[in-house]
Amino acid sequence: MTQKLLEIKDLYAGVAESGKEIIKGLNLTINAGETHAVMGPNGAGKSTLSYVLTGKPDYVVTGGSMRFAEHDLTALKPEERAALGIFLSMQAPVEIPGVTTQNFLKHAINAQRKYNNLPELDAAEFLKLLRSAAKNFDISSEMLKREINVGFSGGEKKRLEILQLSLLQPKLAILDEADSGLDIDALKIVSQGVNQWHTKENSLLIITHHLDLLRQIKPDFVHIYADGKIIKTGDMALAEELETSGYKNYLDAAK
Amino acid sequence: MNLNVDGENIYGADIPWLYALRKKARDAFVKNGLPTAKTEAWKYSYLPSGILDEFTIAAEPHHCDGHCHEKESLPFDCRQIKFCNGSLEHIAHDLPRGVMIMPLIEAVENAEIKPYLNKSFAVGEFPFADLNTALAEQGLFIVIGKETELQEPIYIHYHQHEGAPKLNNIRNVIVLEKGAKATIIEDFDAKEDAHYFNNIVNEIYVGTDAFLQHYTRQNEAAEARHVALNSVAVKAGGQYRDFVVHNECLYARSESYVCLKQENASAEINGAYRLQNSGHSDITSNIRHLAPHTFSDQLVKGVLDGKAHGVFQGQIHIAPNAQQTEGRQLHRALVLSDGAEVDCKPELEIFADDVKCSHGSTCGDLDAEQLFYMQSRGIALDDARQILIAAYLNEVFGKIEDVAVAEWLKSIF
Amino acid sequence: MTDKPQIEDLSGDKYKYGFTTEIEADTAPCGLNEDIIRLISAKKNEPEWLLERRLKAYRHWLTMSEPHWAKLKYDAVDFQALSYYAAPKQKAKPKSLEDVDKTLLDTYNKLGIPLKEQEALSGVVAVDAVFDSVSVATTYRAKLAQSGIIFCSISEAVKEHPELVQKYLGSVVPYTDNFYACLNSAVFTDGSFVYIPKGVKAPMELSTYFRINAQNTGQFERTLIVAEDDSYVSYLEGCTAPQRDENQLHAAIVEIVVMNNAEVKYSTVQNWYPGDKDGKGGVYNFVTKRAACRGINSKVSWTQVETGSAVTWKYPSCILQGDNSVGEFYSVAITNNRQQADTGTKMIHLGKNTRSKIISKGISAGFSNQTYRGLVDIAANAKNARNYSQCDSLLIGSTCGSHTVPYIRNRSKSAVLEHEATTSKISAEQLFYCQQRGIKEEEAVGLIVNGFCKEVMQKLPMEFAIEAGKLINISLEGSVG
Repeated sequence: MTQKLLEIKDLYAGVAESGKEIIKGLNLTINAGETHAVMGPNGAGKSTLSYVLTGKPDYVVTGGSMRFAEHDLTALKPEERAALGIFLSMQAPVEIPGVTTQNFLKHAINAQRKYNNLPELDAAEFLKLLRSAAKNFDISSEMLKREINVGFSGGEKKRLEILQLSLLQPKLAILDEADSGLDIDALKIVSQGVNQWHTKENSLLIITHHLDLLRQIKPDFVHIYADGKIIKTGDMALAEELETSGYKNYLDAAK
Repeated sequence: MNLNVDGENIYGADIPWLYALRKKARDAFVKNGLPTAKTEAWKYSYLPSGILDEFTIAAEPHHCDGHCHEKESLPFDCRQIKFCNGSLEHIAHDLPRGVMIMPLIEAVENAEIKPYLNKSFAVGEFPFADLNTALAEQGLFIVIGKETELQEPIYIHYHQHEGAPKLNNIRNVIVLEKGAKATIIEDFDAKEDAHYFNNIVNEIYVGTDAFLQHYTRQNEAAEARHVALNSVAVKAGGQYRDFVVHNECLYARSESYVCLKQENASAEINGAYRLQNSGHSDITSNIRHLAPHTFSDQLVKGVLDGKAHGVFQGQIHIAPNAQQTEGRQLHRALVLSDGAEVDCKPELEIFADDVKCSHGSTCGDLDAEQLFYMQSRGIALDDARQILIAAYLNEVFGKIEDVAVAEWLKSIF
Repeated sequence: MTDKPQIEDLSGDKYKYGFTTEIEADTAPCGLNEDIIRLISAKKNEPEWLLERRLKAYRHWLTMSEPHWAKLKYDAVDFQALSYYAAPKQKAKPKSLEDVDKTLLDTYNKLGIPLKEQEALSGVVAVDAVFDSVSVATTYRAKLAQSGIIFCSISEAVKEHPELVQKYLGSVVPYTDNFYACLNSAVFTDGSFVYIPKGVKAPMELSTYFRINAQNTGQFERTLIVAEDDSYVSYLEGCTAPQRDENQLHAAIVEIVVMNNAEVKYSTVQNWYPGDKDGKGGVYNFVTKRAACRGINSKVSWTQVETGSAVTWKYPSCILQGDNSVGEFYSVAITNNRQQADTGTKMIHLGKNTRSKIISKGISAGFSNQTYRGLVDIAANAKNARNYSQCDSLLIGSTCGSHTVPYIRNRSKSAVLEHEATTSKISAEQLFYCQQRGIKEEEAVGLIVNGFCKEVMQKLPMEFAIEAGKLINISLEGSVG
């Protein structure tokens, strides 16, 4: 019996300040172990979906529901959603001057452990964990000592996001354009990292409009997202078809 | 010095509102006196307490041998206005529709100036402005009407002949109505050995979406003293752009007090000064961001040699609620001799959190490596120095879009 | 000893040093006049020359008026309503640490400052503990004496090393310097004295811990540090006060003399009671700190973490007289609720090749106001002088104020000066990124602020830096959300 991890029902959401509605009646269910890809044209509001799921304060839910592992997400703070196991790899990770990557990661891990009633890691345990994970993603200890995301190249930032994915061990990872700005080698590291973490219990939501990463990660479901909802669901074949014929047919059909 | 504005023969005694204003300003000036070393805004630029006793305010017939009526030949088209020894000699005529320029005296007579005179700052805030308010009889009232674009700049020439040492109090009120656009160029010069004190106050009102480009070329005589205040109020979407150039004289201070009163108002206040001997130059500004989404930018560069004294004071004030505002300010000085002194006080006063503000100040000599490199390519040391100094100043002159005006401003250096 | 936890409970404040110590005190009557000064001098069995100095300062003080140029608003201090001397009653001056009143030892233990030498943690720090007007204990004196270092209270130094005290006291901060310094010169009660002889590097950190306990008492301590040629010392200063509804006055002087090739590092974690969230109570902190680099290659470094006090007026300065001497100022100042701070530094370059560096990080939150005020002054003879200044401000919330007022004066053509200042806020993006990784908002703010201050915190000795980091988080509690 498959276990529901994320269940989005008839979701409406938009920008808090302007009130502009972006998500308009979206339905999506992700079961444990599944990989979903959301594809769609630029500007369709794909990133909004990732922000709404993770609780970015700039966005507000106006209707419908989001449930994650038996919790009502709308009532939870971003850090609580993170501790429940939702991880968002951002398109443009933020720079925080003065805070080293290492220090940041330690804070994040221990904050989540505390929330889940696990003992916090001491410095030695943490370092051991960090070093072995960093090695996997070709991240040097010098890089861990640098301020988080400050002066990192696009590839370095993405590798660091995947390192965090492997350290924080979420139940659901949302990769928002995780493949943008990556060369082939870096893409390999990222997809290997994702595949390593990805088990029968863990689910993946990939937001992209490129095929490169999907070919490496192989989604179970591919959704076409436009005008605030999912207008077509298929499998990898749908993605391949989009590559050749584009979104136009589906967009026209939806109108 | 006689500050008796109670007398009947002083101008404006018969106009009640003007008389009341002048008396209030006079009282404030008498009470506060001249700024001293303890007056924070003047601590680097105070004047000796008896300074004004050297000068007379009485206008005297002058002997300008006819030159006053000749137009200056300038590298740009403009409408020319001229003051000689502090008196209006020549005013621009044949103005396009929507543009009005009249002498201060006429403007107070028909009270059109009343809503603007001394309304951009309060009595008691600026000591020399109070003196000006109490005494000024000369000046201009300029109005650029709604949506009027004045193509040719208004050029105001202030010239001083020799004669009895004179204190010139000149008051200009410049109003740009909604959507108006104009350029005003002020030019100060004098006969070489003239001895005088110019006390100039410009009150400038930049209306909604209006644009004023303001240039000041201060090329006073070596023995001159020059104190100028530009008090500016900018409404929504209005832009005020100012550039002041100081050549060397005994004492010069240009102060800008700019209030960005509504959203999207902006100000750009740039300047350059070059001092060689023992002159004193002070460029002071106070830019007050009073509304959200306001913007200001400032770059002032100076070169000091001999025993010159350069002063830069710049305050950026961000009022509570003036969110999403940006204020930038930079002062750079090149100090070429050990006898020269530069005093710099950039100041941020911030009461809102969502703002981007920065200031910077640097001070140093010419780069020895660069000098040597040029010498090694055969350029004489003195030439190399001049080239580098010019290059140094070009950064700020490069901000002027009109190349002819930029060259003309630079020509006094 | 009885604590008064109910005060803390009622006010809901987080100031953990807000307890009072119930100890019988020997307190001078309120008010200030020549008789009070004679009384202080007599209580301390001072020599005639010191009393003369005090009286001279007092007479000069009467001619001065309180300065008002700082961006600070506070009720005027009634100098006649204060007591200028309070000492915990001890049977006799303790000969060793074992003789110190247990109540006092407990107080310091509670503050995390163990005065027992065998305490493992304190093994690297020698402590002079000042309680109200007097020094109650100085640890590791014997060990330091082995290398010729004198570390004692200034009262003891007056008696035991009068020639040094007479030579240096007031030589950096003359009694005429400013209103509060002049007051201090008239009424100072105790403080620390450090003398590092030629060629000696202090084998451990030296530290003074100041505690105001008595009510309606001004604390006027005086610290004098002399570092002879080729010597080195790192000195720490900590301070706390009980939570009281009325304001307490603290007006101290720190003087440092540094000779050829010597170096002094002076670190402060200032955590005087800041008042409650509505601005009631708290310490008025009016302090004059100045170092004179008198020798060639001498170096002074001030590091301060300022989280406490209701009102702070403080500008640790360096007079760079000796050629090649170096002055540094690293500062983190945090104001929250109704706190006000006007703080910064003065770097006076007189000698050739003198260098100075100023790094100031100001964080304002709540309804607080903070000003960085600094002076860099390069004299005509200071050939090749260098200064680099950076002042960054971080604002948390839209009701606080942050101001930067640097004064820069240069008369030397070969000098190079750079000053930069920026203002920013914690961005919503940064907060969300931390929260998305599971870090709570308050913790995220602490993390970001600690990152903002890192450059300064790194200059603190290790144990101090950890304490200071925690203190920053505590100070910012309640500033978000």
